[in-house]
Amino acid sequence: MNANEKLWGLLAQYENPATVYHACEKVRDAGYQQWDSCTPFPVHGLDKAMGLKPSKLPWAVLIVGVTGSTLGLLFQMWAMGWAYPMIVGGKPLMSLPAYVPVWYEITVLTSCVTAFLANWIMNGLPQPYHPAFASKAFERATDDKFFIMIEAADPKFDLEKTRALLKDAGATQVEELEP
Amino acid sequence: MSHHDIQKPTDITIPADSLFAKLPMLGGGLAVVGLGATLASAFGENKARAMFSYLWAFEVVLAIALGALGFVLIQHAVRAGWSTVVRRLAETAMVTLPVFIVLFIPIVALGMHELYPWSHHTDAILEKKRWFLSVPFFLGRAALYFAIWSAFAWLLYSASVKQDSTADGSAEQKKLSHTMWKLSAGGIFVYALSQSFQAIDWMMSLQPHWYSTIFGVYFFAASILAFFCFVTLVAMALQKAGVLKDAITTEHFHDLGKFIYGFTVFWTYIAFSQFILIWYANIPEETEFYMVRLQGGWDVVSYALPIAHFFLPFLFLLSRHMKRNRTALAAACVWMLFMHCVDMYWLILPNFGTHGEGHHEAHLAISYLDVTALLGMVGAFLAAYGFFLNKNKVVAINDPRLTESLAHENY
Amino acid sequence: MATATAVVLPDDPKIRGDVTLEDPVGGREALVRGPHDFHSVTELVCAVNEKPILETPNPFKFGIALAAAGAAMFGGYIGYLFWEGPGIWGNNNPVGWAWDIVNFVFWVGIGHAGTLISAILYLFRQKWRTSINRYAEAMTIFAVICAGSCVALHTGRIWMDYYLFPIPNQMGLWPNFRSPLEWDVWAVNTYFLVSTLFWFTGLVPDFATLRDRATVKWRRMFYGALAMGWRGSMRHWVTYEKAYQILAAFSAPLVLSVHTIVSFDFAVSQLPGWHTTIFPPYFVAGAIFSGFAMVNTLMLPAREWLGLKDLVTVRHIENINKIILLTGTMVGYAYAMEFFVAAYSGNDYEGFTFINRMFGPYWWAYWTMVSCNVITPQLFWFRKIRSSPAWTFVLSIFVNIGMWFERFVITVTSLHRDALVSSWDYFVPVTEVFFLLGTFGLFFTLFLLFVRFFPVIAMSEVKSVMPQANPHWEGYGHGAHAHGGGNAQPATAGGH
Repeated sequence: MNANEKLWGLLAQYENPATVYHACEKVRDAGYQQWDSCTPFPVHGLDKAMGLKPSKLPWAVLIVGVTGSTLGLLFQMWAMGWAYPMIVGGKPLMSLPAYVPVWYEITVLTSCVTAFLANWIMNGLPQPYHPAFASKAFERATDDKFFIMIEAADPKFDLEKTRALLKDAGATQVEELEP
Repeated sequence: MSHHDIQKPTDITIPADSLFAKLPMLGGGLAVVGLGATLASAFGENKARAMFSYLWAFEVVLAIALGALGFVLIQHAVRAGWSTVVRRLAETAMVTLPVFIVLFIPIVALGMHELYPWSHHTDAILEKKRWFLSVPFFLGRAALYFAIWSAFAWLLYSASVKQDSTADGSAEQKKLSHTMWKLSAGGIFVYALSQSFQAIDWMMSLQPHWYSTIFGVYFFAASILAFFCFVTLVAMALQKAGVLKDAITTEHFHDLGKFIYGFTVFWTYIAFSQFILIWYANIPEETEFYMVRLQGGWDVVSYALPIAHFFLPFLFLLSRHMKRNRTALAAACVWMLFMHCVDMYWLILPNFGTHGEGHHEAHLAISYLDVTALLGMVGAFLAAYGFFLNKNKVVAINDPRLTESLAHENY
Repeated sequence: MATATAVVLPDDPKIRGDVTLEDPVGGREALVRGPHDFHSVTELVCAVNEKPILETPNPFKFGIALAAAGAAMFGGYIGYLFWEGPGIWGNNNPVGWAWDIVNFVFWVGIGHAGTLISAILYLFRQKWRTSINRYAEAMTIFAVICAGSCVALHTGRIWMDYYLFPIPNQMGLWPNFRSPLEWDVWAVNTYFLVSTLFWFTGLVPDFATLRDRATVKWRRMFYGALAMGWRGSMRHWVTYEKAYQILAAFSAPLVLSVHTIVSFDFAVSQLPGWHTTIFPPYFVAGAIFSGFAMVNTLMLPAREWLGLKDLVTVRHIENINKIILLTGTMVGYAYAMEFFVAAYSGNDYEGFTFINRMFGPYWWAYWTMVSCNVITPQLFWFRKIRSSPAWTFVLSIFVNIGMWFERFVITVTSLHRDALVSSWDYFVPVTEVFFLLGTFGLFFTLFLLFVRFFPVIAMSEVKSVMPQANPHWEGYGHGAHAHGGGNAQPATAGGH
C-alpha cells in the first residue's frame, strides 16, 4: 500500500525523444500495464517501445464503410426504380453506371465520418479533466517535453521503486499526481 | 537505424547457373518458335487473324517496356529515394525498347491492310481524316516514337551503368545523377505525348471512325500497371535465384504493392470515365466502340473487366498485410498481368473481322495464334531483358541514393 | 529513419536561390531552416495567435475590414438575387450557364490543392508538406464554402434548394440520382465535410498546445474546448495516426472524384466543347494547378508577414512551383488532345467549336487562358525563377487568372454558338462582377480569421519531421541515455 492515499500515479519528465524512447522500453520490460507516455508529436517507434498493439480503428471503418456503401447503392436503386419510377433522359430505371458517383461518395462519407468519430470514441475524448493537467510541468507536453505516467492502480506500482525506475531512465523530474 | 549500419549489397550479378543466365537463349528460342509460327500463318488464309494476334501480343509487351520508361523518368525527375534498389530492373526493361523496332516491322510489312481499314478503304468521314491517317505519315510517326523512346532509354541506361564504375562521392557520380535528373524532367513530357499518340495510331485507329481524348491516358494506366506487376515478379524471382537477397526488403515490396493497388484504381478511374461519358451522352459515332464490345461473346469480357480488373484486386490488396506478403503479392501480380492481356485483347481483337466499322458483328473466338504470338513476343522481350540483365549489375550500385533506398521503411 | 542526411543551408533567404543543393547526391535539405528546436517552433507559430486582440497589427485590421466589407456586400448581393432572381445576371438563351458556374468551378478547383497536400503528398511520404498543409486545408474548406454558395445560388429558386437532398416528402419524390447535378451535390458536400473533419483532426494537438500556453481565461476556454482534453498520450496517438492515415487514404481518391464529377456536369452532355472523354483527368489536373497557385498567392505574403520563413522555406516554394509546372503542362496536354481529336474526329461541329474558341468572339478569353496556364508556367523550368518569391507570386496570380478564364472559355464559348444559327448570342455580364468579388470577400474574411486564431502551421507535424524527432538521431549518440541533453541542435551538413 502506498503512504499517500490520494496518489493517482507518478509523472516523469524527459527531455528528448531518445530518452523517453529508452525509458518506455524499460517501463515496458518491467511489466507495467497501466501507464502511458505523452509526447508533443507521435515519436516514431514509440508504440513498439511501449509494447502497444495496433489500433482496431480500421475494423470499425471497414464495417461501417461496407454497410454504408451497400445501403447507399440499394437506396438509389430503390428510390429510382421502385419508389418513384421515372425515365429521365432516356436512361433505364436501373442505370447502374449512373449510380456509381453517388455510391462512391456515400462510401467515402460513411467511412470518413466513422474514422473521425471512432478516433475520439476509442481514445475516450473529449475528456475535460485528467490528473496530469494539475501539473505545471505537464503544460509542456504539447510543446517540447516528453512524459511518462504510471498509475498507482498498476499491480506492479511501488512508489519508491517506480520512482527510481523512472529516475534511472533519465527523468529530469518526477512528481506525484492526485486524482 | 542510422546509415552507419547499412552495407551495400554484394549479390549483384546473375549467377551463371541460374535460369536468368539462360534467359537470352530460352527467350530467343521461344521467340523464334512463337513468332515464327504466327508469322508463318500470316502467309496463309489466316493472315488477318495472325496479324491481329501479333499486334495484340506486341502491345501487351510494349506496354511493359513503355511503363518501365515512364517509371524511370518519374523516379529521376522526383529524385525518389525508395526505389533505387529496383530501378535497374526497370531500366533493363526500358532498354529493350529498341528491340520493338524490329518487332514492329511485321505490322507494317505484312499487316497494314489487314489491321488498319483506313489504309485502303475510304468514305466521307475517312476523307476528312486523311491528313492524319495516311500510310506515309503513320510510318513517319512510328519512326519518331521509336526514335524518342530508344534515345531516352539508351541515354538513361548508359548513364546509369556508367555510374556503376564511378567512385563513391566523386564529381562524376554526382554529375551523372544530375544529368539523369535533367534528362528525365524534360523526358516526361515527350514520353507522355509519344506514348499517347502511339496508342491512338496503333490501337485507336483500328476503328478509324471512333475517337476518344482519354485513350492515351488509358493506355498509360494499363502500361504502368503492367510494368509494376512485372518488376515485382522479377524482383521476387531474382531473390529466389540468390540475387539482391537482402537489398530488396518487404518495405520495397510494400511500396510496389501500393503502386499496383493505386494504378489498379487509376486504371478503373480512367476506364470508367471513358465509359460513363460515352454511355451517358449516347452519341452514335462514339457508342460504336462499346456496341461491338457488347455482342458476340465480347459482352462477357466487357462485364468481367470491372469485376476482375478492379473489384477482385481492389479487395484482395486492400489490407497492408497482403501487400507485405510475398505470396499474396505475387499472386496479385500474376493475376493483373493476365488481366492486362485481357484488357489489351478487349481493346484490339473486337476489330478483327468487323473492318473497324461495325458492319459485321464481332465474335469472341480465341485462336491458337494468340498463344503463339504472345509466347513469341514475351520470349523476344525476355531474351533482350535477360541479355541486359546479365551484361550489367542488377542494381545501380553507385547511385548516391542507394543507401537511402536500402534503409527505406514505410510508416 | 529512411531519409538521407539533412543539409542545413545558410540562413539568409536571399542567397538560398543561388545555392545549388548538393542533392541529388549530398542528401536532402532540412525542412526547417535555422537553429530551431521544438520549443522555438512552438513559439514561432503561436506568436501569431497569442498576440492580444487589442494589439492586432493595423494592416491586419485593414485587411479584414476590407474582406468583411466584401463579404457583407456579398450578403447584400444574395439578398438582391433572392428578391429579383437570376435575371440580374447576363445569362441569355444559349448561354444558360455563365459566371455562376464559372465561379463555382473556379472555387472548387482552388480547394483541391489543400487536399492534395494533406492527403496525396502524405501518402507519397512528402515530408515537406507538413509546414504548408494546415493553411492549404483551410484554403480548401473556405474555397469549398465559396463554391457551395455559388452553386446553391445558381438554382433560381434558392428557397427550394433542399430538394437537392434526399429528404422524405409528402410527394414521395426523390432527387434524380442519375443526374450529374445531383452527383455534384453529393460530391461537394462530402468533400466539404470530409475536409473539415480531416482539418479538425489535424488541429486538435495544436489546439492543445495553445490551450496549455494560454495566459488569459477566454483563450484557455476557447482552445480547451476545441482541444477536447488532448494530452498527447501515445495510446491516443496510435489510434489518431491510424485515423489520419485512413482519412488521407479516402481523401486522395475523394479529391479526384470531386472534380471528376464537376467535369461530368459538362461532359455527359452532347455539346461540342463539353463532351469529351479527357475531361475528368483534365479537370483534376487543372484543379490542382489552380489550387497550388492559390497556395502560393496566400503563402508568400503570409510567410513574409508572420515571420514563418524558417518553416516555409524556399524549398517549399520550389516544390510547389514544380507541381504547378507539371500540372500546367498536363493541362496543356489536355488542350492539345482536345484540339487534336476535334481535328482527327472529322466531326464538323467539334472542329467549329475549337476554331471558334481560338478566333471567334471570345478569342481574348481563349488566349488569356493559354498564355496564363500553359505558356507562363513554363518559366518555372528555370531554377532562378522558381526559387524567387517575387516571380512566384506574380506567376501564381497569372495562373489564378488563367484558370478562371479556362472555366469561362469552357462554359461560355461552348454555349454561345448554338447548333441553330438563329439562336446565336453573345454573353455580357451585368452584375456578376459583384458576385465574384463577394466570394473573394467571404474567402478572405474566413481566411484572415483563421490566420489570426488558429495555428497556421501544423506544429506537431513539423516537429515530427525535424531530425531531432527521431529517437535514433545521431545527435543523441548511441544508447542515448544522456540526461538533460534535450533538443540539441541538429548538426550542420552531411557526413558522419
